[in-house]
Parts: sequence; C-alpha cells; structure tokens
Amino acid sequence: MTIASRRRFQLALLLGPVSAFLAVFFLGPLAIMVVTSFLAPGLYGGVEWTFYPHNFGRILGFADPMFEEYDPIYIAIFLRSVEIAALTVLATLLVCYPAAFCIARLSERSKNFCLFLITLPFFTSLIVRLFVWVLILRQTGLVNEVLLSSGLTERPLDLIYTKGAIILGMTYVFIPFMFMPVYASVEKLDWTLVRASLDLGAGPIRTFWRIILPLTAPGIAGGAVIVFIPALGNFVVPAVLGGAKVMMFGNLIEQQFLAARNWPFGAALAMMVMSVMLIMMVAHVVLSGRRSAAAAALAR
Amino acid sequence: MKIARSLFTGGLLAYTGLFFAFIYIPLAVIAVYSFNANPVNMMTWTGFTTEWYAQVLGFKTKVSESALYIESTGQLLQAVWNSLVIAASTTAIATVFGTAIAIALYRFEFVGQRFYRVVMFMPMLMPDIVLGIALLIFFVNSGIRLGLTTIIIGQCTFLISYVFIVVSARLAGMDRTLEHASADLGANEWMTFRRVVLPQLFPAIVGGALLAFIISMDDLVITYFIAGVDVTTLPMFIFSMLRRGIKPEINAIAVMMLSFSFVVASLGLYLRSRQK
Repeated sequence: MTIASRRRFQLALLLGPVSAFLAVFFLGPLAIMVVTSFLAPGLYGGVEWTFYPHNFGRILGFADPMFEEYDPIYIAIFLRSVEIAALTVLATLLVCYPAAFCIARLSERSKNFCLFLITLPFFTSLIVRLFVWVLILRQTGLVNEVLLSSGLTERPLDLIYTKGAIILGMTYVFIPFMFMPVYASVEKLDWTLVRASLDLGAGPIRTFWRIILPLTAPGIAGGAVIVFIPALGNFVVPAVLGGAKVMMFGNLIEQQFLAARNWPFGAALAMMVMSVMLIMMVAHVVLSGRRSAAAAALAR
Repeated sequence: MKIARSLFTGGLLAYTGLFFAFIYIPLAVIAVYSFNANPVNMMTWTGFTTEWYAQVLGFKTKVSESALYIESTGQLLQAVWNSLVIAASTTAIATVFGTAIAIALYRFEFVGQRFYRVVMFMPMLMPDIVLGIALLIFFVNSGIRLGLTTIIIGQCTFLISYVFIVVSARLAGMDRTLEHASADLGANEWMTFRRVVLPQLFPAIVGGALLAFIISMDDLVITYFIAGVDVTTLPMFIFSMLRRGIKPEINAIAVMMLSFSFVVASLGLYLRSRQK
C-alpha cells in the first residue's frame, strides 16, 4: 500500500462511522423537519403528503381560508420573543462587559480562576438554576419574605410569571455565553491605543466610544449572536418563570408538538427560529468578516 | 485625576464582586434553605433539618411516616438511574466520535473540512428545541420506539460537538516536533500515535468526556421531546415536579445535583485547561 492510500484508509476509518451517524441522526432529521413544515397536517395528528405552504401562511398572513385561519397572535408571540431575546442580550452585555475589563487585568492565576467560576454554572443543571429563581421570586419567595417582614410592602409583589422574570432568568443562564466572547476581545484590546487617545487630548468618554467600543465590538457581536439565538427559541425559562402568563415562541412550538399535535405547523414555527438564526449568522459572518465568533469563543 | 482613576478602578472591582455575587448567591441560597425545617413555606426559616435529604435518599423520617410528602422516591431513583445509563452510553459514543473528527480535521487534509467544522458548530448555536422536534419527527416517522435508545442517539448528535471542541483545541495547541522526532527515530505511524500523540491528547479526551457526561445528565429540552412516555430522566423529573408544585425535597435534590455537577465539571474543566 502506498502512503497516500494508507492515509486515505485511515481517514475513512476515522470519519466513516461518525459521518454516517451525523448524516442519519443529525442532518437527516433537520432535513425532514424542513420537509414537514411544507406538508399538510392530517386530521388525526398525522401528516398528509401534499405540498401545503399555509403553515407559514398561518404565521405570516396568507392562510388557507378553508382550514386554517390567519391569526396575528403568532406573529405577536414571535415579536415578543424577539423583544425578550434582545433585552436578554442587552442585560447580559451590561452584566458582563464591565466585569470583563476588571478580570482581564488580573494576574494570570486569578484570571483563570475567575474564568473557571464563570464557566462552571454552564455545566450545572439548567432546571436547578431556574428553580432557584422560582424560590427567590415567587409569592412566598425570598424577596417577598424580606420585603414583607421588613414592612416595605403590605402584600407580596408579583415578581414571578412576568416578562421581567423571564429576562432575569435568561440573563442568569446565558452569562457564560456572553462573557466568553466579550472577554476574548477585551483581553486582546491594545491599551497603547487607549493611552495614545488620552494623551492626544480625547476625554475618557470619547476614548470609550471611539477606541474601546469599536475594538471590542467583534466580541460583543459574537456574544449577542450566541445569546440571542438560544434565547429566542428557549422554552424552559418561560415555562418555569413565565408560567402560562407570558408565552414565548418556544412554548408555542412545544404546544404544537405535545398538545395540539399539529406537527407541520410546529415545524413551520421552528423554521422561523431557524431562519432568524441563519440570517443572524450570515449577517455576523459578513459584518465581522471573520470566522464565526461563536467558534472562536467556544473553542477557548 | 488620580482620585478619579482609583475611584473608577474601585468601582470596577465592586461591580465585578456584584457580578460573582449574582452568579453564586442564588446557589448559596438554595444550599442553605435545603436545610430549612419549614415544610410549608420554604423561605421562612424555622430550624435546621436534614429531613429532606433523608427523604430523597429513601430513609424513613418523621415526615414520611405522616405520609405528607414524597410518594415518588422510587420514581426519583429510577430517573437518576436512567440519567446515569444515558450519560454513560452517550459519553462513550460521543467521546469516540468527537475525538475521531478532531483527529481527522487536524491531522489530515481532505475536501469538505469546512463543512465538517460548520456541522460541528451547528448544535452549539441551534436552539435545543429545533433539534428536539427534528429528532422527534425523525424517530416517529422511522418507526423507532421512543425511549432510552432514542434519547442516547439524540443526545450524541450534539455531545459529539462538545468533545470535538475540547479535543481539537488541544490538538491545535500541540507541539508537533515530538511527533516528527518519533517518526525520525523510526517509530511507525501507529506507534507514534499511541506513544506520543495519545498521551498528550489524553487529558483533553477525558476532560471532554466528563463535560459530555455532565451535559448529558443535565439535558432537558432535547430529551424531553424524544423520551416518549415510559422514560423519565432526572431533569425531566424535576421539571414536572416544578410544574405540579414545589416541595422541600426538590431543594435537597437540587443541591445534590449541583454538588455532583460542580465536582465532575471542575475536574473536566481542569483537565481541559491543562495545556502543557
């Protein structure tokens, strides 16, 4: 055997099984989901094999008037989810950005320890971390206990099952996602440029807007993308902290699959999330002109 | 100017202190209150007890004798067992597959490398729910019965990515002169791989495996869609308990899960970061 053909054999051995696995169980299902979103829902929960674009019509406003009606509620829920996801991005950024500057200037050892402390929660159970917020925010929760017993309020405040609770919970959960890319760009920041700007007479605020912010923008953009996308499709946070009162797109998708059993419509809803994801990824790649920031951040 | 500067630095430090407080105080709260004896109002402290832990672990306690609480210790233990079986199987599969892709991408040249990279990063970005329903549609259409098998297959699709990322980071940062030296000294490729590459790669592989294990144990969304009706995992059990109403036992379960994840993830992160 020649060296080249032996290398090819080794490569096939390495990649063959895993490629087959991913083709069948990862790319396959995604393709089937795309197809399903264009099929008609069957009468008893199944799927009918006819081309049926009205699943999207039900969301976007060109519904098939015979069976399905256009209901602006879907687009309203979608927009609310976009709003909540955007506010989550903003909140995580406000929480992480200043901290990143502080941690970037610590000694190597403390730096690594801080990064460890920030990544650690990512590997603890999501449901447990949300449950903690239920205990803190609910009617008989910690905050209300403290407020009531100190006499600051007469009766418990409605903290849980609000939009604010969802944003708080998401922020808590997505901190590591935002912190890592932001930190990566803050750490690389060339401080001689900042000093030059100050020396040349620009004030601290102007230096921030003209030097620091543009130089750390790639990290902010990367963090925004990898927080926004999972936040948009999230269904656990709103299920736990939003209750039945504040519904997000993820809950709608879940309902179509597990309660309403209209799979094609559910798949169409999921496609909306996927298309937002693709648009954001393309925009991000085009705008930043570099490899996916998610890749860089996660490969750390 | 100097005062302004030190004020700014102090402010930044205080902010960072608050940042860590925000992350860890909630976890500390639950750890403390899991020992609260108050069975009705969990956030009003009435005394210290280890009752809830005993309860969860299936010991007889005063409370369980008065039959107020957990009727479901059996279910809980079953859920824990399911989670462990799933995590062990997925970790084994995902570690082999993820490492294979990483080695292929970093030690071979071939057409389609970019494509593999994109596929590896897709599960990280995609909302879990999308992959969950895609797998559900797939499994139901292909007639595979939902249960342990489907959960294991489904989780592997995204755990491979995690192992891949950890192992490939190590491969990218590895000093290749040792490999060349080994080859120059007459070792064949397999020898070089086994005696030089693998030992250097080993901490990353174990680290990746531990992280995959813990992520598998914690996965809720994807598992939730493809579990079917017969199988419940630990996160699913807690999720349904939360929906039915909160009991103090959940505190104890939550704290035990947190401690377990902390230990395993710390080990995994330590092994991942041990670059040299």
